[in-house]
Amino acid sequence: MSESNSTAAPAAFAVQKRRLRLLGLTLDDTIKAFFGGNAVVAIVVLTLITIFLLREGLGFFTQNSQSLRVYRQAGLEYVDFIRAEVDDHTALTRYLSDLRLRQFTALTETKQLPLEEANAALATFDAFADRFGSTVDPLRSLLSDLTEQATAIKTKFIVTGDKKEERRQLLAEGKTAEAAAVQIEETDFAGELKPLLATLPAFKEGNREFGRALLATLDGAPVMPAPELAVRMGKLKQLTRAYVAGLPAVEHALETWDYTRPIPAWKAVSSFVFGRQWLTASFWQDWYGVIPLFIGSLMVSIVALVLAVPLGVGAAIYINQVATLREQRIIKPCIEFISAIPSVVLGFFGIAVLGQALRALSQVSWLSWMPGFPYSERLNILTAGCLLALIAVPTIFTLAEDALNNVPRAFKEASFALGASRLQTIVKIIVPASLSGIISAVLLGLGRVVGETMVVLLCAGNRIAIPDFTAGLSVVTQPVHTMTGIIAQEMGEVVRGSIHYRALFVVGLVLFALSLLINYVAQGIVRKYRISIG
Amino acid sequence: MSAPAVHLFQSQPNAARRSERAAFWLFRAATYLVLACGLGVFGTIFFKGAGTVFKAEAPFINTTFFTDAPESLYIFEFEGKKYEMGDGAFRAFKEKHPAAAKVKSESYVYSAGGIYPCIVGTVLLVVGSMTIALVLGVCAAIYLNEYARDGVFIRFVRLAILNLAGVPSIVFGLFGFGMFVIYFGWNVSLLAGWFTLAFMVLPVVITASEESLKAVPKGFREGSLALGATKWQTIRKNVVPYALPGILTSSILGIARVAGETAPIMFTAAYVVRDKLPWDVEKAGDFFFQGVMALPYHIYVVSSKIPQNDYTERVQYGTAFVFLLVVALIAASSILLRNHLRSRYKW
Repeated sequence: MSESNSTAAPAAFAVQKRRLRLLGLTLDDTIKAFFGGNAVVAIVVLTLITIFLLREGLGFFTQNSQSLRVYRQAGLEYVDFIRAEVDDHTALTRYLSDLRLRQFTALTETKQLPLEEANAALATFDAFADRFGSTVDPLRSLLSDLTEQATAIKTKFIVTGDKKEERRQLLAEGKTAEAAAVQIEETDFAGELKPLLATLPAFKEGNREFGRALLATLDGAPVMPAPELAVRMGKLKQLTRAYVAGLPAVEHALETWDYTRPIPAWKAVSSFVFGRQWLTASFWQDWYGVIPLFIGSLMVSIVALVLAVPLGVGAAIYINQVATLREQRIIKPCIEFISAIPSVVLGFFGIAVLGQALRALSQVSWLSWMPGFPYSERLNILTAGCLLALIAVPTIFTLAEDALNNVPRAFKEASFALGASRLQTIVKIIVPASLSGIISAVLLGLGRVVGETMVVLLCAGNRIAIPDFTAGLSVVTQPVHTMTGIIAQEMGEVVRGSIHYRALFVVGLVLFALSLLINYVAQGIVRKYRISIG
Repeated sequence: MSAPAVHLFQSQPNAARRSERAAFWLFRAATYLVLACGLGVFGTIFFKGAGTVFKAEAPFINTTFFTDAPESLYIFEFEGKKYEMGDGAFRAFKEKHPAAAKVKSESYVYSAGGIYPCIVGTVLLVVGSMTIALVLGVCAAIYLNEYARDGVFIRFVRLAILNLAGVPSIVFGLFGFGMFVIYFGWNVSLLAGWFTLAFMVLPVVITASEESLKAVPKGFREGSLALGATKWQTIRKNVVPYALPGILTSSILGIARVAGETAPIMFTAAYVVRDKLPWDVEKAGDFFFQGVMALPYHIYVVSSKIPQNDYTERVQYGTAFVFLLVVALIAASSILLRNHLRSRYKW
């Protein structure tokens, strides 16, 4: 019975359709797989961005570590101890010339003396300043000698590296004879450094003499006419004494300095992350520290957000809660339209119009109470910040308006029913209910601003230095350089594969990570504090 | 006679009401300040740029500005008269007046001639990258909206799209440089620019397409499936045709973004100056592997690399005007069409 069953053909369906199969997939499956493949593209692109930024950028850290090693072995680090000492002295003389300027303006403006007489009155002060300044001269000449020596050692090492590379290339091409002909002289750092280190006793001698001479000049300091200036003179004396007291520490650092001490591996990373100098194509030593660029980006973004958040959120509240339907219909597309202005056009507007206009505004006399006004740099943090605010406002406005829109009607109605006014409802009910959305809107606006390139490249002033925060709020009138700007500016000029090139990719990596972080936090806030309607 | 009785429910001026009105005026001021700033930027560039693009006599449009390549501008005095000439005209002038050969002249690069090659380059970049982005983006949106069921994978894809939207454009530029220009060895080329821009604009296209697909009512799909159509037939005949207008209009906003970005093409596709037009190639294959001039990059070059004065201002404002006009028209048509569509399709 069972046998006959198994041999019988399976019952046919009333309607049967043969399906074409490709690799075991029906046509519909194939189509689905095709669309699915397209959906994966977003993931693939993100992965590829990560891979290629790492591929070009990671080499930076080995190259940087190598560069730091040469910096030590060729004695550049040794010379920089002395350079720091001399630079500190220069800072003191700058303080002194600032003092002279104050005295001079006091004489010309309050006492109304003509220029020649004012200069004559300052003759004793000038003599003192000259003595003060010239104490460092012997050290400075020693420094320039040492600089030359160290540079020579470094150059020798680099030439050797180039020759090695040449030989490697020749060997790769199979030209053994030519490769053998390339003369390579291994750099003997110990031997090369000997004359450099031999100057230590002379330096010690000179250093003590320098300290004594400096203190001796202080005794001959002229008496200041005004109490305010006398305080400053006292400050200078105090600073100078502290400086002289610090001189033996430099000697100690030089004595204990050892060129064979290895550079720890984390130095290559920390000198990038915490480096306070971005200095390239220098004859002495290149530094790739991201801090000045990071601070520049941060300052510009802060200024932009300070301007954009009140405007964007205020406009969103107005459009969503206060405005008439007709106003809404007209204004909403207009603000969206602003977001379509290309950033390079805004940058051009900043160079051509806004920079000058803001500077002219800063020189209006009744505005001089504002911090930093008047200023002379046309392109600075403020100019770039104002334009970036215009970029951030539409983003913040659109997203914040969406968030306000998502507050359930019942909230508003309940509030009105309890007798609250419109303003009370907005401030106490609607805005708190949509706060998570508003915050994430601000964060996404920040993401937009940090990643913006053309405006900061054209309008931020492009001076690679940490702005002077001692100036207080007027720091916003100083020029800076930014992470996005430096990539756009220097990428076109660098040699492929060089340390500078790789450093720019690492800056790109930092930007990429930053944008992902901002996105992640913004989404997290929305998810965590989403209002439950129930 | 007593004063007319005040109605019991008529609103009385009081402190709370006054502060409410003050607060609303602040909000209103913020809104209109934003609009005024936007208008200020538009107005300045339109007003100053119009001088280059339009002229008083017929045909009222400065045609050479749209049909010539950028040239250096020479300014010189000859026989007591002041002349301003482009490169070519100056050479012809010297041949005509041999005495002028040694005349002293001031010169400014890119300040004469027109911006024809830049317009061509921008159009090519936009067309190519939008084609790639639309194909990838629409297909991805179809998968996300029609096929996918909620799960870990789909959440991951959506997260990736969101994150991709936040990546700075300069990072896309670096990525395109590292991958297409160097690793693939395409050099600075149209193809590298296309892919870089396409990946940049992909999230915009996917989001826009998904929204349009979502707007097609479920009944359309169910009706088709109930009649025995396969999934693919349903999508092809009953979903995509109704979503397509929406997809295209929303994607126009993507076009504005592609046309407006400078940072991604700086190292991947844009040349500062190029004599040949893109179709002057020896082999057809070379077409894809050549760099082009582009409007946004040209604005960057003329605003940062040459000094600001009366002579250079014309080309600076003129280029910015044309560029802004193009992008504004694209964006405006997108916004208007979208509003129009919203009111038209009521299912």
